[in-house]
Amino acid sequence: MNYLEAKSAPAREDRLKANIAFGGTLRDIKGCLKKGCFGSEGCLNLAGRRFSQTQGCQFTLSLAILNTLRNAVIIMHAPIGCGICSISNVGVNKTFKQLRDPQSEGIIWLSTNLDEADVISGGEKKLREAVLYADKEFRPETIIIANGCVPSLIGDDIDSILADLQTQTAASLVPIHCEGFKTKVMATAYDAVYHGILKNYVKKPERREYIAEPDLEKIKEKYRISRHVNVLNVGSMSRADELELQRLLNALGLTVTFIPCYAEPEDFEYSLESSLNVSICGTHDDYFVEHIKAKYGIPFLIDTIPIGRKNTDRWILKIAEHFGLEKEAQRLIQEENRELDKSLEPFRQKLAGKTAFIAGGEVRILATAEILQDLGIKVLGFKAHHFDQFVEPIFDSLEDLDDAIVDVATNQPFEQANILKRLKPDLLVTHVGGNNIAAKQGVPILPLFGPSYNYLGYSGVFEVARRLNRVARNGQFNKKLAENVPLPFKQEWYEKDPFTYIKQQDAV
Amino acid sequence: MSKFIDRPRYTCALGGALATLRAIPRAIPIIHASAGCGHNLHNAINAGAGYLGGGYCGGLSLPSSNVVERDIVFGGEARLREQIASTLEIVDGDIYLVLTGCMVEMIGDDLDAVVSEFLDYDKPVLPVHTPSFRGSSYTGYELVLSALIHKFVRKQRQKTPLSVNILGIVPAQDVFWQGNLKEIKRLLEKLGLKVNTLFGEGEDLESIRNSGAASLNIVVSDIHGIQAARKYEEIHDIPYITTGLPIGAVGTEAFLRQVAQALSIDPAVTERVIAEEKAVYYNYLERLADLYNDIDLQRYAVVVGDANYVPAVTRFISDELGWVPELAVITDLVDDNDKPVLLKRFENFESGLHPVVKFDTDASSVKKYLTEIWPANHNDKYFDSFGPTVLIGSVYERDLAQQYGFPLLTVSFPVTNRIVLNHAYAGFNGALSLTEDLFGLLVAAR
Repeated sequence: MNYLEAKSAPAREDRLKANIAFGGTLRDIKGCLKKGCFGSEGCLNLAGRRFSQTQGCQFTLSLAILNTLRNAVIIMHAPIGCGICSISNVGVNKTFKQLRDPQSEGIIWLSTNLDEADVISGGEKKLREAVLYADKEFRPETIIIANGCVPSLIGDDIDSILADLQTQTAASLVPIHCEGFKTKVMATAYDAVYHGILKNYVKKPERREYIAEPDLEKIKEKYRISRHVNVLNVGSMSRADELELQRLLNALGLTVTFIPCYAEPEDFEYSLESSLNVSICGTHDDYFVEHIKAKYGIPFLIDTIPIGRKNTDRWILKIAEHFGLEKEAQRLIQEENRELDKSLEPFRQKLAGKTAFIAGGEVRILATAEILQDLGIKVLGFKAHHFDQFVEPIFDSLEDLDDAIVDVATNQPFEQANILKRLKPDLLVTHVGGNNIAAKQGVPILPLFGPSYNYLGYSGVFEVARRLNRVARNGQFNKKLAENVPLPFKQEWYEKDPFTYIKQQDAV
Repeated sequence: MSKFIDRPRYTCALGGALATLRAIPRAIPIIHASAGCGHNLHNAINAGAGYLGGGYCGGLSLPSSNVVERDIVFGGEARLREQIASTLEIVDGDIYLVLTGCMVEMIGDDLDAVVSEFLDYDKPVLPVHTPSFRGSSYTGYELVLSALIHKFVRKQRQKTPLSVNILGIVPAQDVFWQGNLKEIKRLLEKLGLKVNTLFGEGEDLESIRNSGAASLNIVVSDIHGIQAARKYEEIHDIPYITTGLPIGAVGTEAFLRQVAQALSIDPAVTERVIAEEKAVYYNYLERLADLYNDIDLQRYAVVVGDANYVPAVTRFISDELGWVPELAVITDLVDDNDKPVLLKRFENFESGLHPVVKFDTDASSVKKYLTEIWPANHNDKYFDSFGPTVLIGSVYERDLAQQYGFPLLTVSFPVTNRIVLNHAYAGFNGALSLTEDLFGLLVAAR
């Protein structure tokens, strides 16, 4: 894979033939995967909707990663509204950064505030002023320039301006081209961010060179690298998740660096002195690890996400295989499972027989279904932001789910409202953001992720079980809302098939 | 010519329009824009306005055409037509407003023509051009109101005597909009007025439709809501007055007298209402007489925020709480022509104080002004330091507050560290809440 010569990353509907609009069962999805519908055939990837609701875009999702980078200032090159969602992050962002470095600052961003005059005459002058101000005022290591739709349409030559400005600033300038209108698949954001990081952020660390080369130092260094892995974290992970994964890998004798979220430039430099890049979610990382392999020769592992027992077992084993540590891994897995299994018993007694619906990112929802099955909960259906090939490894961990409903929809709460009305699950496990509609349907909700809670690894299974049990104990808040607050959809909508508004589009 | 902004304290025209529609029951926005616009703006408005929530059909339920590259290349009108038609099929509303984002305006989609195809629908469908590059949230409020005033508000030549509309409190952008409107309505009703706040408790779409019958518009802001007031004047022949945002006894007395005068209300009635309100107000405020003087609760203060709150809060803490405000920073995008009227609000404080007033949109500027107004200690043994001080601002001031050790009360957008439901700062009751919140900071550890 090498897209780095290009100005920006390709859209995922083109690169991965990802799909954002599909309705059926898990059996249908599996059939499609087998036929290659989400792969090279791509027969589904042009699907869209006649009715749609707002959803995230490349820009907003890019910010979810960019906002976490330490010692950086972000310039949103766009009209004033773009990226203003960072407001929702000002407090928590600082707290989470300080879990990694107590000295960290919160998010600092500038909007170039493009107005009507700029739309006509170009936004280059304001961009220059903003970059120079950011450099002088905040003295960051990095200035990230994320551009919205407007500069792309008026033709601002951002890369050239930044190349010129780089000679005048102390900070490294990193352009991220993440215009929202360029892609239907929000997850293209991961590629857009990694594209900028790969081009302008990742470089070999400057090591002192020995005049005489002591063998012992060389051997030690080689050994250190041979036992080191990078784990590619995601913005939805918590520090507790990282510590759990670190604990498990340390138990195999491996050391870990977490990138990209909450990392600083140095972390990326040292990440090149490593034996393996480990993804926890293919949806996030394939673009990055493929390029790192091509450019720096570091192999990678993209398999399952370590959520749920079987997925965690598999994730550990795959890493262990790379290092020839299978036996050690087996022992670890056995011991961890024994302890965890016992700890889940009280929750199984309370939760077994309940039904649930899960909504969010494709990889995460299927893996979370494994936890629910482990607790004896029946999973009735899923809503996935999009679908592509990265879900395949997770199917092995699931039992008897072929009849579960699958709605592929980025956000689109109207479809979920229709489906929930039919399925009437006891519990809902969902992505943040669109839950005010589901809440008014009276279902108790557990967030699918939370950057202050543990979901990953073995401890994550226990934590999910414990919280799900608490949520199930009292659903009065949403129940009362449902009794008193109406939903915005007409009665006729609930009588229609939930997938009525999905349409196929012709290729352009 | 505008400049870049360090951490804007407002969203864009589309955001302001969405927030304004969020405040009208059963009004449904249909966004014609890229997929992320609505989501991005909801995240900002929800969190920034003390967790306002998406409401009936806001937040991630917002219908949106989600145009992508092919629509930008080939034009988005077909997609818009399809989206409006399907929204009318699915979403149960009483009025539908089609709002635009930047891209579709730049490629020249003919919004008005597409929307006009839905004239026959039994509920109104109206176009409003709200691209982000046209301005901030405040612009969005004006644009939505102008569209409603122009195309939806019923023309009534016969005005209802003593009936007024309230303008200038921008939903969400004024985080306490609902509580504030409620208090203003309560006070004006005591004067015998029929009060239409357009948004908030007791109001609905019918209130807006009937707002053309008012005999006066009261804009409780020196710079926001004035375009809407002019539109009412032009189309519905309703005159308007502008007042400041009334906070506290001093501010609210002046407000009530100004309104009474404009409507020729018997001064005896006005004075009776004021006396009644003040009796209640001071009955509460008097409770502080002990503590304030027992432990010296006078404070220096710095006030940072929008053009409605900063003058009103600064005067209130100066002239009623007896505090010493040294610096006031107005963070809105204020036109140079509007600055004198705002500066005038800081004149003639009863306390005789003259706080330094700055107009600046950048979050990083507040600290610079702080070092300007008060010299740093150069290791002097005897140094008259700037303290104890309370900082009144937005959540952006938190770092500054922590750095200087100032307690912070967030009153101006964005307010992400509080939950705001029916809390108010306007009027007499609002001032009591503000007093509780400010002094609450000072006794929190007791």
